[in-house]
Amino acid sequence: MSDAGAPGPIIQVTDVVKLYDDGLVRALDGVTMSAARGEFLAVTGPSGCGKSTLLQLIAALDRPTSGSIVVEGRDLREAGNDTYRRTGIGLVFQLHNLLPNLTALQNIEVAMFSNGHSHGEQRTRARELLDAVGLGAKEKVTPPRLSGGERQRLAIARALANRPPILLADEPTGSLDSAAVDRVLELFREIREREGVTLLLVTHDAHVASTADRIVYMRDGKIVAAPEADVPAAAPAP
Amino acid sequence: MPFLALITRNVLTRRVRAGLTGLAVAMAIMTVVALGVLTHSLRRTAISVLQTGSADFTVAQKGVSDVLYSSLDNSQVARIKAEPGIQSIVGVLVAAIKLDSSHPFFLELGIPPDELAPFGVQILKGRPYTATATNEVMLGWRASQDLHKNVGDVINIDGNNFTVVGIYSVGNVFGDSASMLPLTTLQTNERKPGNVTLAFVKVTPGTNIDALRKRIEQANPEVATVRTQSEFGRVDRNLSLISAANVGITIMALIIGAIGVMNTMVMSVFERTREFGVLRAVGWTRARVLALVMGEALLISFVGAMAGVVLGYLAIRGIQRVPELVGVFQPDYTSAIFARALGIAFGMAFFGALYPAIRAALLVPMEALRHE
Ligand SMILES: Nc1ncnc2c1ncn2[C@@H]1O[C@H](COP(=O)(O)OP(=O)(O)O)[C@@H](O)[C@H]1O
Ligand SMILES: [Mg+2]
Repeated sequence: MSDAGAPGPIIQVTDVVKLYDDGLVRALDGVTMSAARGEFLAVTGPSGCGKSTLLQLIAALDRPTSGSIVVEGRDLREAGNDTYRRTGIGLVFQLHNLLPNLTALQNIEVAMFSNGHSHGEQRTRARELLDAVGLGAKEKVTPPRLSGGERQRLAIARALANRPPILLADEPTGSLDSAAVDRVLELFREIREREGVTLLLVTHDAHVASTADRIVYMRDGKIVAAPEADVPAAAPAP
Repeated sequence: MPFLALITRNVLTRRVRAGLTGLAVAMAIMTVVALGVLTHSLRRTAISVLQTGSADFTVAQKGVSDVLYSSLDNSQVARIKAEPGIQSIVGVLVAAIKLDSSHPFFLELGIPPDELAPFGVQILKGRPYTATATNEVMLGWRASQDLHKNVGDVINIDGNNFTVVGIYSVGNVFGDSASMLPLTTLQTNERKPGNVTLAFVKVTPGTNIDALRKRIEQANPEVATVRTQSEFGRVDRNLSLISAANVGITIMALIIGAIGVMNTMVMSVFERTREFGVLRAVGWTRARVLALVMGEALLISFVGAMAGVVLGYLAIRGIQRVPELVGVFQPDYTSAIFARALGIAFGMAFFGALYPAIRAALLVPMEALRHE
């Protein structure tokens, strides 16, 4: 892992193209973007513009057709990605993707196998995270008996299990009512303050995006200029 | 959470399915155990006939269905005796009789008294019988203890009263649990004049035993020589058939059990595609996914095997109650049979889970996550 004070972005995406269905679908069409260490970055744009695809590639769940993704100085095309997924990032999916047969506590523990800590330490960490997301009293409850907002908070707790420097979230508020949305956004703020993570959040919701430090806009698989200038606007066009 | 706890949890989540699969494994293992004990017990009983004396090898009639049906006549024994390299050859008539319900398989060995020494018999008490005595018998020391008969006591064997004149030892369990009487007396009682069942051969030191055996079998095509237990099938075809059937049924049980496990695990892996995607997404390696699926199959099979061993034991208890078999069949539970049952259960789990486990491990995380 590179030292915390290293200059340059923690995530660097360069000229990434992702084709689906033998090239019929151009999900990403030459995307270049980056995120600075500790930044809260929102990626937004209409449905189908390629936000999720971009996030999945950064999460090393899939490989770009071309282009490169470098995270903390490490090119994702090289070396195995299991360790990266376990310790380099935390993932919060659009659908919570919890394991329905495991309790809240076990859902967090399941992400901690072979992270080098004892079962006792893992359990302590899992409890600590449940407390942090306000589910301390529900550790024995299984996901089907949690509310939508609780599930999403549990998913966030699981993403933080191995103290990743980066948190990737795909529409984490997608299926929640506005009270639950505010709760999750509040949680993200707390996590950034406490754990100092870089947060990359994908959303089509302008309100959610507006809580970020910076917003990246996408359309048809490309990064586009912002509707409101918020990208380096040192020399705005006349 | 320990990995084993997760495996247990996953198995218990689908407990009906796991239970039924375990039951299938249990039935297969029960068959293997019951058949194994049965075969082993029959084999041991049959082998005992060959191991009543000390010999370098044994000669019997070739290809008989049961070793007790082997028949050699005096002239054959004499002919074999003429081969160079033979120190002694003792023709013994063997009869198996039922003494009573607790001694269903009692061996009578007919041997002339002057051949007791070459046969390796040591008199512990009393004296040997005379060559023509019709009512004298010697008991092996184990038989003597077991039957509570000592020198001077009278024992009824197959309707005839015999006086115990001596107690002997041959230094092996089977011989010492038997009885000996004059060859001519047993031949008369069994209506087999001039015949013996087996000939026990000792060679002169330095003789090439295998070469001698080959010479004997070439010169006497109607006989077979047996040196080890594994060669026993040459003179007892029933036993080799039973053993072959045992192997065949064991393999079938293994295959049937493995298919049962495979069916369950394939279904389980298919239904849980998304779960494996999640696990890979949170950093599980392919190896750990493989281990999870394998572990679940192993747990189901292991519990099934335990139940199967118990069921097998009960099945044997049941077989023992069959009226025709009461007392005849004495089960011999060896640890090898149970070890084999466990090995087979492991094989079922391994071969049954291999394909689904590999399938689960090879899932592309992204595609698995998209799976409904
Ligand atoms: N696995 C896939 N196979 C084929 N097309 C896909 C696949 N995943 C996404 N796409 C297509 O790629 C485009 C971008 O999708 P996605 O990244 O999910 O967009 P967003 O998250 O912005 O709604 C869409 O046109 C979508 O239909
Ligand atoms: Mg999306």
